[in-house]
Amino acid sequence: MTQLSLQDVVKTYGQTRALDGAALNLRSGEVHALMGENGAGKSTLIRILAGLEVPDAGVILLDGAPVALSSPAQSERAGLRFLHQELQVVPAMSVAENMHLSRPYPTFGFGLVRWRALRKAAGAALDRLGVSHIDPDTAMGDLGPGDQMLTRIAATLIETTGPRPWAYVMDEPTAALTGAEAERLFSAILTLRTAGHAILYVSHRMDEVFRLSDRVTVLRDGRHVSTHATPETSRDQIIADMTGREFADLFPVASPQIIKVGHDVPLLAVRNLSAGPLRDVSFTLRQGEILGLAGLSGSGRNHLLRALIGAVPRQGHVVLNDADPGTTPTACWAAGLAYVPRERRAEGLMLHRPLSETVALPHLAGLSRAGFVGTSGLGKMVTRFAAGVRLKAQGIHQPTAELSGGNQQKVLFARALAGQPKVLLLDEPTRGVDVGAKFDIYTTIRALAEQGVGVVLVSSDLPELIGLSDRIGILHAGRLTQIIPAKGLTEGALLALCYAAEAA
Amino acid sequence: MLRFLRLYGTLIGMAAIVAVFWALLPHTFMTARNWLNITQQVSMLTVVAVAMTVVMVVGDFDLSVGSMASLSGVVAAVLFVQGWSVPAAVAAALVLGLTGGLINGLLVSVIGILPFVATLATLTMYSGCAFILSGGKTIFGRDIPQSFADFAKSGVPLGSIADKPVLLPWLTVLAIAITALVHVVLELSTYGRRLYAIGGNAEAARLAGVRVTLLRLTAYGFTGVGAALAGLMYASRVASANPTQGEGLMLNAIAAVFLGMTVTRHGQPRVVASVLGVLVLGIMDNGLTQLQVDSYVRQVLVGLIILLAVSISALGRKAIGRR
Repeated sequence: MTQLSLQDVVKTYGQTRALDGAALNLRSGEVHALMGENGAGKSTLIRILAGLEVPDAGVILLDGAPVALSSPAQSERAGLRFLHQELQVVPAMSVAENMHLSRPYPTFGFGLVRWRALRKAAGAALDRLGVSHIDPDTAMGDLGPGDQMLTRIAATLIETTGPRPWAYVMDEPTAALTGAEAERLFSAILTLRTAGHAILYVSHRMDEVFRLSDRVTVLRDGRHVSTHATPETSRDQIIADMTGREFADLFPVASPQIIKVGHDVPLLAVRNLSAGPLRDVSFTLRQGEILGLAGLSGSGRNHLLRALIGAVPRQGHVVLNDADPGTTPTACWAAGLAYVPRERRAEGLMLHRPLSETVALPHLAGLSRAGFVGTSGLGKMVTRFAAGVRLKAQGIHQPTAELSGGNQQKVLFARALAGQPKVLLLDEPTRGVDVGAKFDIYTTIRALAEQGVGVVLVSSDLPELIGLSDRIGILHAGRLTQIIPAKGLTEGALLALCYAAEAA
Repeated sequence: MLRFLRLYGTLIGMAAIVAVFWALLPHTFMTARNWLNITQQVSMLTVVAVAMTVVMVVGDFDLSVGSMASLSGVVAAVLFVQGWSVPAAVAAALVLGLTGGLINGLLVSVIGILPFVATLATLTMYSGCAFILSGGKTIFGRDIPQSFADFAKSGVPLGSIADKPVLLPWLTVLAIAITALVHVVLELSTYGRRLYAIGGNAEAARLAGVRVTLLRLTAYGFTGVGAALAGLMYASRVASANPTQGEGLMLNAIAAVFLGMTVTRHGQPRVVASVLGVLVLGIMDNGLTQLQVDSYVRQVLVGLIILLAVSISALGRKAIGRR
């Protein structure tokens, strides 16, 4: 049995102590969950394991003997492998070639590649992981993010003469995956564990942690708080460890009387909408209602939001307060729709620009006089809405790249709220966001709904969907098959409905 | 240290260059007359670099500015030959610049060709047009109206030194005015903030309701007009027009914007920074010419300076990014 153990690890960046007495013990044959809020030090710990950072103090022992992890090469020699949130792949090359990117190709000599051997090695590794549905000849770019990730894991299983991997570090691996893709990943993880490998599993998703892990380590403010055997702990215990306080309930309760007030006033009517994979989608969103959208991979959930904000061409009728909001993003924002996109870095933020610019961008016209930006008005607006979503930043001019994931998301919420929207379109609003920021975001969404704003919420986090929504629409293969009240639904029931739609 | 060098390296380098020339040319370099001369020498480049900054803010660039400058000079000269008045010919050349710029914008933004490919093709086309219109020859002499040529020779009187009047050249005044105008547009107007947003993240800007296609197109219009104006300034200065006279402008303008980007936070293009880049290039050129350094050697030195500045900037950014 192999065992890696970190003790009393300290790492400071300038003034901030990222790690201040962190500890971790990882054994072969276990799935070990690492949890903590953003800023708790998980990323720094992973960077240390990857050899990207050298700790200022602390002990790292591999099977009881001190080991240096001061470069990525040393980390690889110690048998550690990393799966990052953003995967590096070459989309135009085949799966088999992508799997050989970091290792020598089998050759006849003189650099002539033995293509059949290459394909065979890749195929064998995929089989070993139990993911033989992936064809080594497919172009990597044709695979979904889940299969790309499985391919990357399988690549480490190709037989080579080098050091054999024994431990995998997975940082939020399901963040970009749909339910079905995540299921495949979970079974691959269990295959790895059965084969005696260790998996360090970093995730914000409680259900995954309880389902997969054998032990849980919680970090808070750079310190080791607890390590429990998973069956002997509870969700509440872990949240208490992460936050240092008790969380009665993550989802703010809807106050029933206010919801009753506006609830019969239709706000957004969608009739026979078709766009991309979507076919004949019709629904009515009422004032103050939160409509959740659930569905499996490829059901068109986030396509629906993109169609509603005018980002993709659409057919059919959309009526907002008896008027057509238009078919371009410019028109839709102006009409009172606001959008928080799924990929916040790619689709939402100007990373190297001051955060105030991202917040103000859709509202510039209203903030300008004769084509010139009123700087003080802009500053006031940004400050007000940043405070409203409890954004933590050094000031409104800080570049968004320097903020944590949760605060970046809050920038996009501030942006959406700054226009006083009538309808809020939210695509995975709490993806990669820590528990504290999640709570703030939920509170914000609830507060808006109580003021009469309609919310369309897409989320692959089922407890979140059930906890926030008034009604939930099930999308299947581009069709909205049914809309049901969220109250009383369980995760299992909802998932069953998604799959039932598939069977129907 | 590296962080400091990254932000201020170019400024320190500029000061060092000035100091060296001052020491080597004690009587001629650090004089009001020479500095006014430098500003006049760089006025055309300033206008092109400032206009180039607009497209570079959006994340694009324009290779056709040099040949557009040649073309606009030639067109004005040909119209003079046809008996057009100065304002009419100048306006026509500027409209031509706008059109040429918008064609670039159409190709890049609407049709979706890479800026490199699209503007490389229009570079060739505009240059060909200039040759066709001029018959490959320089247009000069009587054909160029006196008032057009006089513009570049005159300026705002500032006083006199040793009984000779000192003028702030009109070309310099024009370059300053254009710089101020574009600076205000980019930094303070809604339009400018949207351009920066597109450069920051085009897809995010689109989803936030910015008319990305339209704005990218108009940015090229700016650059086209800037190039045409620079071509006219050049024609006025040499009182002639030939189809190759704008050739050096494109590379120097891009170099100036890149030099400028080394002094801004996060390496973003900004108007004032671009003008600083222009000044570095202009001072180098002026000093080395006065030192009678061979023009080929001069090219090598200028290239080295650009590489040095950009390298320090890149290394500095890496050092900052490492934390």
